[in-house]
Amino acid sequence: MHELSVAEALLDHAAAAAADHDHDAARVEAITVELGAATHVNPTQLRFCIETVAEATFDADLTVHIDLVDPRATCECGWAGDPPSFEGAAAVVPTARCPECGGPTEFTRGTECRLASVTVPDTPATTHATDTED
Amino acid sequence: MRHVHAHSTHRPPIDHLFAALFGRREASPVARTHRFGHDDAAETETGDDVLAEFRAQARDLHERIVHEHGVFVAEFLGATGSGKTTLVERLIERAPADERIGVIVGDVAGDDDASRYRDHGVAVTNVTTGKECHLDPGLIEDALADFDLHALDTLYVENVGNMVCPADFPLGAQLRVLVVSTTEGDDVVRKHPLLFQACDAAVVNKADLADAVGADIDRMAADVADVAPGMDLFRTSARDGDGVEPLASFLDGVRAGGHDHHGHPHGADEHLG
Repeated sequence: MHELSVAEALLDHAAAAAADHDHDAARVEAITVELGAATHVNPTQLRFCIETVAEATFDADLTVHIDLVDPRATCECGWAGDPPSFEGAAAVVPTARCPECGGPTEFTRGTECRLASVTVPDTPATTHATDTED
Repeated sequence: MRHVHAHSTHRPPIDHLFAALFGRREASPVARTHRFGHDDAAETETGDDVLAEFRAQARDLHERIVHEHGVFVAEFLGATGSGKTTLVERLIERAPADERIGVIVGDVAGDDDASRYRDHGVAVTNVTTGKECHLDPGLIEDALADFDLHALDTLYVENVGNMVCPADFPLGAQLRVLVVSTTEGDDVVRKHPLLFQACDAAVVNKADLADAVGADIDRMAADVADVAPGMDLFRTSARDGDGVEPLASFLDGVRAGGHDHHGHPHGADEHLG
């Protein structure tokens, strides 16, 4: 159940972004997370954990968007592209085997779990006016 | 020895903001969107990627333990009952008498593994995670407070028995050794490709029981070569110590190399005992 620690870390980031002096928001309404397919994080469980931590601990009603990121990989032989996936898995599970030479590959995309955006109310917490869009 | 609990590092430093920020109020008619991206001057080094942050923490740990203090660090992962503790016990028993060894042992609960290590006279810290299924760099950081890194040559880290969660949480070791056993079934390797891909060497333990449980150990070796090309593989029967010597020599080679084990060189495959 490592989604819980990932959820807590994402909420840390969301709180920090909202409280940032440029944004100065009173609360967070929604967050978007970019989640790579080459991670072990289960998107359904991650969404549940984020919503549960926000709801149970802080009485929040948070909308969670999760965008799945397709993996990319490179190989020492010069190959780069979309890695093949293991057959028959319920989720996309990319292989680390080069489809050209059979050697080990490195993922260049798909290992991230990144807070992509935070939606905050139009009205800042304090009275001074700020831009409403970044 | 003391117990380090999982929650000790999981308290966010900005707790006090949470209640206000995520508190329920009247919804505003218009919402602003703060979008993290390349044009964001405040973007951090890890770009708000929380998994990248864990990886960065692991690199910091590696820098401190391995490079500043010259300690050799090997992490052992695998399912509960795969034989991680027995394998590390065999490595401790064959170490030179003057080798100063420490062990960080992670379990959800209990003191059983730590107690076994203590019987070998090595420095031990037991990390009981409570509910977490893996060790993370913060827990290692906490556990290090129990050790004098100047007085250590070797640090073994035994992760919580789990074949899924530790993959996303490197701990700063020179190499991660994944231990599976024939009694888990000879399809265990292909069931867990991502964890193999996250590790540097693999052990198929309980080789002596393969026939008894009807496991095709050659198939397991072929599966390792398939999911993690070039990965170093060792067959052991840790209870009796069979096959441990090639693994120990391999670890000594990484230690003597004075640098990290980078990837899996093509062709460097199975080490038969």
